[in-house]
Amino acid sequence: MAHTWNRREFLKSASAATLGALAAGAPLSMLNSCGKPALTSTADTVILLWMAGGMAHTETFDPKRYTPFEKGMSANSVLSTFKSVPTALDGISFSEGLESIGSVMNLGTIVRSYVAADLGHILHTRHQYHWHTCYQPPQTVAAPHIGSWMAQLLGPKNPVIPAFIDIGQRFSVGEGEELKAFHSAGFLGNEFAPFFIPDPSTGLDSVKPPVGMDYKRFERRNQLYNELISKGPVGEFGSDYQKESLRRSMEQAYRLLNSPEAKAFDLNSEPKASYDTYNTGRFGLGCLLAKRLTQQGARFISVTTEYEPFMGWDTHENGFTRASAMKKQIDKPIAQLIKDLQQSGHLDRTLIIVASEFSRDMMVEGRPDAKVQEQVNQPDVINDIKHYGMHRHFTDGCSILMFGGGIKKGYAYGKTADERPCKSIEKPIRIDEIHQTVYHALGIPEDTHYVIEKRPFYTTPDGKGRCEMDLLSGTQA
Amino acid sequence: MLSGVFGFWMWQFLGRLHPLMVHFPVALLVVALVLEAIAFRKKNDVLRPGIQVVLAVGAASAVLAVMFGLLLIANDDYSGDVLNAHLWFGVATAALSVVTLWFHTKIFKHQKINFLKLYRAGLLLTVIGVTVAGHLGASLTHGADFLTEVLPQADDESGPETESPASMALIKAGGDHTFTEKELDLLSLEVRTIFAHNCYKCHSADKIKGELRLDKKEFVMKGGESGPVIDLKDPDNSELVRRISLPRSDEDVMPSKGKSLSKDEIAIIKLWISKGAHWPDNAGEIKLFPMAALAPRTPALPPARPGDNNAVDRFVGAYFDKNKIEWPTLIDDKLYIRRVYLDIVGLLPPPETIDAFVANKNPDKRNQLVKELLGMNDAYAQHWLTFWNDALRNDYTGTGYITGGRFGITDWLYESLRDNKPYDAFVRELISPGKRSEGFIRGIQWRGTINASQRVEMQAAQNVSQVLLGLNLKCASCHDSFVSDWKLKDAYAFASIFSDTTLEINRCDKPTGKMAGTKILFEELGTIDSTVSVEEKLKQLSVFLTSPKNGRLYRTLVNRMWAQLMGRGIIEPVDLMDNKPWSQDLLDWLASDFVENNHDIKTLIYTIVTSRTYQLPSVALDDENKINSESFAFGGPLLRRLSAEQFADAVSTVVYPLYPDSTRQYVPAVPASSFARSSLVKNDNLLTALGRPNRENVTTKRSSQANLLQAMELTNGAMFNTVLARGARQWQVKYATSDQLVHEVYRKALGRNPAEAERKAAVAILGPKPEANGVEDLLWSVLLLPEFQLIQ
Repeated sequence: MAHTWNRREFLKSASAATLGALAAGAPLSMLNSCGKPALTSTADTVILLWMAGGMAHTETFDPKRYTPFEKGMSANSVLSTFKSVPTALDGISFSEGLESIGSVMNLGTIVRSYVAADLGHILHTRHQYHWHTCYQPPQTVAAPHIGSWMAQLLGPKNPVIPAFIDIGQRFSVGEGEELKAFHSAGFLGNEFAPFFIPDPSTGLDSVKPPVGMDYKRFERRNQLYNELISKGPVGEFGSDYQKESLRRSMEQAYRLLNSPEAKAFDLNSEPKASYDTYNTGRFGLGCLLAKRLTQQGARFISVTTEYEPFMGWDTHENGFTRASAMKKQIDKPIAQLIKDLQQSGHLDRTLIIVASEFSRDMMVEGRPDAKVQEQVNQPDVINDIKHYGMHRHFTDGCSILMFGGGIKKGYAYGKTADERPCKSIEKPIRIDEIHQTVYHALGIPEDTHYVIEKRPFYTTPDGKGRCEMDLLSGTQA
Repeated sequence: MLSGVFGFWMWQFLGRLHPLMVHFPVALLVVALVLEAIAFRKKNDVLRPGIQVVLAVGAASAVLAVMFGLLLIANDDYSGDVLNAHLWFGVATAALSVVTLWFHTKIFKHQKINFLKLYRAGLLLTVIGVTVAGHLGASLTHGADFLTEVLPQADDESGPETESPASMALIKAGGDHTFTEKELDLLSLEVRTIFAHNCYKCHSADKIKGELRLDKKEFVMKGGESGPVIDLKDPDNSELVRRISLPRSDEDVMPSKGKSLSKDEIAIIKLWISKGAHWPDNAGEIKLFPMAALAPRTPALPPARPGDNNAVDRFVGAYFDKNKIEWPTLIDDKLYIRRVYLDIVGLLPPPETIDAFVANKNPDKRNQLVKELLGMNDAYAQHWLTFWNDALRNDYTGTGYITGGRFGITDWLYESLRDNKPYDAFVRELISPGKRSEGFIRGIQWRGTINASQRVEMQAAQNVSQVLLGLNLKCASCHDSFVSDWKLKDAYAFASIFSDTTLEINRCDKPTGKMAGTKILFEELGTIDSTVSVEEKLKQLSVFLTSPKNGRLYRTLVNRMWAQLMGRGIIEPVDLMDNKPWSQDLLDWLASDFVENNHDIKTLIYTIVTSRTYQLPSVALDDENKINSESFAFGGPLLRRLSAEQFADAVSTVVYPLYPDSTRQYVPAVPASSFARSSLVKNDNLLTALGRPNRENVTTKRSSQANLLQAMELTNGAMFNTVLARGARQWQVKYATSDQLVHEVYRKALGRNPAEAERKAAVAILGPKPEANGVEDLLWSVLLLPEFQLIQ
């Protein structure tokens, strides 16, 4: 880095007027926004693969003793409903159905000891809000999504690819409003809001001329627009920020829609073999889109299995059957994404995270020492296969996978108990530490904040999140 | 430690000579190496006797330095990794220097030339050792980055810079500046803020480590178990300063956990000590921040200029005179009618109305137009609903509704606006609500546990103070505010009014065991009876807050309305009514006139938009942040951008309805327009991109800066383009020639005829006979013109 233009220098050079504006509580004065952060980064891009709905750790990346289904079995005896299978890491097993991801674990770290917040009551969207913003709702101001922080602090990596791309979530589903509350830039402003692609297979539609308009006509329309501007009276007036920003943003949109990079959004231009490997459904195609966008210079991409109450990972019954299906959806595409980025050389600077708002257990709702109101009817004796699975919401031990972008390779972090309650017993880690570690990898200092209504609002609450150096390569366990 | 044995003052004294003594071996051993280098080729040179002496003294001083160093460790409180490294490097170097001396003695006195290689290697290692030990020592006293911090590439490992401009000013003022009492108070507040954020965790009433408390004057002055922490005569030598200046690796460093203080924070503390560690006795109560007067005030009207009888203009005229600003020429009829339509009913004026207005020769026509618009009750309500929905965080969908933790107030709000409910009644019904208006103070309740500062009673306290009183209580609802004089107990006492039980005060989400009182923020307004039911308390509050004594309530409202109509409040930000207005007289007069006119918002709007002041040409800013600048000077209304709703409604007017009637979430008895107004529909991608907020939190100002996501939505967004295509077909059918069509598009969208150059450019695209695609592209181009999107 030729020159680190840090906050100190910014402050020194900031005019008295700027400081005056700050004192007056100017909401849009991000002290740290000026130039590059002072830390050395190990990643430029983040891909968050979101397992929406609560993915049970004992059924996926942290399997325990397997008890096959039989009528009349005791629910309390069941820790895992799948066999364990070996991974590329010695002594680390995954649950059956995750062999592909297991085979690339030499490239990443499994965190087995994530502890979700105890919010006193399980509400998926509220826990998700907490995971994505690092703040528990409600807040006195609207907290930004981590992707919006990245967009604000680092900007787009490639100027024609939106900085924060949010793939796979529709808001027409149940709790859609609650989802909107955190799929948002909050007080950072719409400029840093996510660019939504609810359906990756039609991703191209978001970056090409409107339906029914060819490029020739698109070009002509733009030409007319520019001509009318230059011939109109407003052109004569002095400069103002509204007009400037209008023209600049229209110009940017035009450039994006015309850019060769826009092809990255087009999954049809992917070779068939590769497309087929990824195509396990919308999530798989989301991973494919994430790969293509990363290779063209995206900054922050979120791909979700999509949250919809009682769907996806939100298994209130039929846990065994449903988890098998979910694993089919995620195993191949996630592994392929990692392999492809490794092969194209992007994995080194791309931090991939696989996470969920909390885990599940058959018996415990909440955490063992602070159980919350049970929302699932789980009989003690199982006679029907629909009761065989992890149906309650468990917050005290969850798995997160991390790959690339400076994360340790072939490492297992933390541990959960082998008997119920299968809670974190070594190196419990919380969301502010996860976030801070990600910020650290991106070179964003831990005291980064934004003054809103005169309050310094940090990337992690009070700027107190600790970077877990043990997750980053180049450090000792 | 060893202090029992070595407690004798002499040992301590000798120990402190260590920093002095270390310079001898450093210098002498290096000199020895230099001499040896000069003598390199000759095996036994004339320099040998000199080298022998230098080496001997160097080795002896190294041994002494080590001994003094050990005494220093024993008698003063040093420890840590760096110290250990320094210690062992020192000892090893001293030992090595003695060995080296021995080798050299062999060579020098006994001519044992075969020792030469060993000796030279020993000397080189000794010098390396002394350099490393010296550097480590320097790191201990000056900090690890003492050397590297001046390097251009130095990584900044120290803590953050403070963001407080006040501290910057204080640091700049520096040691030579004579501080006034007020500045000393401010300095003391800065220091207390730093203490509170960094030290209270272990050094306050809650937890007292090392017998030190930093939360009260007497404790700070007394110090802790290792004695006083402040040395007024030698600030840099104060234990407090020493400990916070240590490198992170040092065991003694403070704060012992987390981050070090920033350099500016340390500088502030040093400065504070050097200025006598001022700590006002009434530190808790002292008012440091400006607080606006509460009482109403009716300033005398400045003299009228001929033909000027609008009071606003008389105040602005006086302001212009004082600031030597000339009255510019007022805007023409076309600009005025567009401005006033958009401001009062949120719609574009129809072309025929514009023509008639321009043709109208009545000198009173602008006033008449405003009266007409204010009489369009439903259109008015559908425009202002947006502003109030933002402020009262009312929406048709959003968090909280699914779990029954949130209540809409749309019916009540719409009717209140349509019927122009007097503002005092409006406020009373919000604060002491019936079922239809309770949503505002009920807030948003999430299931599960929430931060104490976000319990619904506190949400009510925060929102009532922000929206109705222009006062930020958010900081104080968690801890005593650092940006105002509001205290935690004030916030809780206010919140208690909204609660049916007495609230326990929580500080930073931790219960304090203290119960809150029940009090209005401004006690002069009245005393709430804490023994009665919550309904009764709210009734009392609603009466006290709306009493004519509460000038603040009405100043806040008139300032908000002024900001809506003029692009910038008389005070900004509009939620901080303790900031200075650019004209106190104007603000005060508007507020008292508002009260005098029965709290009638429409009368207030009439007064403002019929003023010559409102009719001034708009002023463009090159940076949105300048709106909040304290040095802002009023020169006319600011150039504004259409809001999301104004834009959407304009599209519906000019092109084709964006929203089918069935999407209305509230169905007014009188729709007042041929399409569903966007203020009545659920939020969507288009409106969000254009700035309609999620209404989880209060929003009192929207940004009018454009951005990429917005432009994407407008360039290829499905909703916008579908409507353009539909509208284009209608336009195409209606107009036979392109000339006619271009003419009408300009009239309808921009309220004027196209200039010849514009007409030509458009017709060139359309061809002589318009086809649908061409019309669609023309409509798109015109709607995206800055001229269309801005209110000039």
